[in-house]
Amino acid sequence: MQKSLPLKRKVYPTLLLTVGVLLLCVLLAVSLGSVNIPLVTTLLALWKGISNQAREGLEVIVWDVRFPRVLMGMLVGGCLAMSGATYQGLFRNPLADPYLMGVASGASLGATVGLILGVPNAWIPVLALIASLLSVALILLLSAQGKVLKTTNLILTGVVVGSLSTAISTYLMLNHKDDVRQVFFWTLGNLAFASWQNIQTMLPYLLVGGLFLQSLARPLNTLQLGEATAYSLGIPVDRLKWLLIIASSLTTAVAVSYVGIIGFVGLIAPHIMRRLVGSHYPVLIPMSALLGGVLLVAADLLARTLIRPSELPVGIVMTLVGGGFFLYLLRKNA
Amino acid sequence: MKRFVLSTIMLLGCAFATKYPLTIKDDLGSTVVIPREPLRIISMLPSNTETICALDVCDRLIGRDDYSNFPKSVEKVQAFGGLYNPNVEAIIAAKPDLVIASKYGKLAERLNQAGIPVIAVNPETYQDIFKKTTLLGKVLNREKQASALNIKVQAEVKKYEILARSVKTPKVYFEIDPAPYSIGPNSFMGVILAKAGGQNIIPAELGDFPKISPELVIEKNPQVILGLSLADAQKRPGWSSIDAVKNKKVIEVPWELNEMLGRPGPRIGEALKGLVKLLHPQLAKK
Repeated sequence: MQKSLPLKRKVYPTLLLTVGVLLLCVLLAVSLGSVNIPLVTTLLALWKGISNQAREGLEVIVWDVRFPRVLMGMLVGGCLAMSGATYQGLFRNPLADPYLMGVASGASLGATVGLILGVPNAWIPVLALIASLLSVALILLLSAQGKVLKTTNLILTGVVVGSLSTAISTYLMLNHKDDVRQVFFWTLGNLAFASWQNIQTMLPYLLVGGLFLQSLARPLNTLQLGEATAYSLGIPVDRLKWLLIIASSLTTAVAVSYVGIIGFVGLIAPHIMRRLVGSHYPVLIPMSALLGGVLLVAADLLARTLIRPSELPVGIVMTLVGGGFFLYLLRKNA
Repeated sequence: MKRFVLSTIMLLGCAFATKYPLTIKDDLGSTVVIPREPLRIISMLPSNTETICALDVCDRLIGRDDYSNFPKSVEKVQAFGGLYNPNVEAIIAAKPDLVIASKYGKLAERLNQAGIPVIAVNPETYQDIFKKTTLLGKVLNREKQASALNIKVQAEVKKYEILARSVKTPKVYFEIDPAPYSIGPNSFMGVILAKAGGQNIIPAELGDFPKISPELVIEKNPQVILGLSLADAQKRPGWSSIDAVKNKKVIEVPWELNEMLGRPGPRIGEALKGLVKLLHPQLAKK
């Protein structure tokens, strides 16, 4: 982790490049899939969708299936990257990812219980969200000493609570063999059924969480100098930690509630951006969000098209693509 | 007719006795020697349990897996766990003279090491149903019952297959899991779907149980959707444009029928009957 916080001059070119790549990815992602759709049809579907006219045939696929899927990928990837960047800054640990505070294992447990009890599909995201927030709350409760949060305690408690949730989920799966595959797929992440409605439901929470994280970026910067230094500079360190964990957890939990656990993007996007624009958090956080969006949209595009009309789980593709790119960057800068 | 077939087979019966020790090759490719007629059997796969009982040797079962639930009488038999968590120690302690296991899940290997005679039998394709019945008949000295059972099941399948040919065949999408997973035409469920008079929208090259893109279903536009509720189908993005959803031809498969369809065993004729009635309600009276 870099201690100093240089803002590299390459921010604007990188911003332009990332936005350009994002637009290209979106365009490709709505045109390619189990059926390839000509650009004219795509634009027509976009127009009809925005002006709310009746759509037919391929236009339905573009507007009602692909657009929400791509947008969901952007939102989820972006949110996970923001949380990842925040946690890496808060714990000053390059291996921190959005799931460090038990969000993933909690969400999986919630979804597992829901799927096994056979609750209606619409309630699965709600259960996942509640369970993940509960597990974060439990971790905070168990590791807080009064108002003080010790970083090491937090991480270790997170590991214990996370393992406990995973163990319970696994036990439940073993005893309900018929639901295992469904649960398993939920834990691998799946953007297949993203809809405009899901996006509408999530968007307000994600915006609040995202702005919340952005507003904490400056104090997070100061925290990089070490907790004692930040404290002497007048930063309320403990309160800042609480706020950071709550904001990150909320954003992550909402992001994964509909699409399941998508790994790796939240770990890798901030690291890649750090190498491009440096560790100045007010810049790093929104840039990471952009890149997270790009990575997830690209991974989902590959997942949908590599063996079409079958699909690969997006998490697996994400790991291959993101991991490969990151290793390349590491070697280049070595 | 049935009686005639049976009596003919009875007459030929004397030519149908298994000679022990019997050497067979099981589904793991191992050569197994069965020294004498097995009288204490543990079956660790529901479809095999059904076949054993249909061969009239249900009373020889001293154990089963957790999921064997048909015929009803096997529920009284001791259960020894499932595919991934079999209770190996209890199986050994029960002193079976034959365990009929699945080739998946490593149980066969562990029982072999303990010196318990074990064969792995997994019916997977449609043809396997009859091949494995014949094999089990041979192993259990019930060869004539096995061929009678095969003839009976095939006759039943034929009957409903012919019945289904009398009506139009709709394009069908059959979902077995909401990820979504479907069934390919070469899988045994796919064969049954075709016999029931449904045109499967899944291309064969995707394999037997592919995870598919929801767009594919929109593009293929099936007239009937099986395996989920209308409400769920309507909720999926873009699916309300599918004919099956528009015409409310989205049908949940009843739990019991689903279980029969998922088991390549002696109730496959009955499963086909259920599927025909689900797909073509106009035939339900026949």
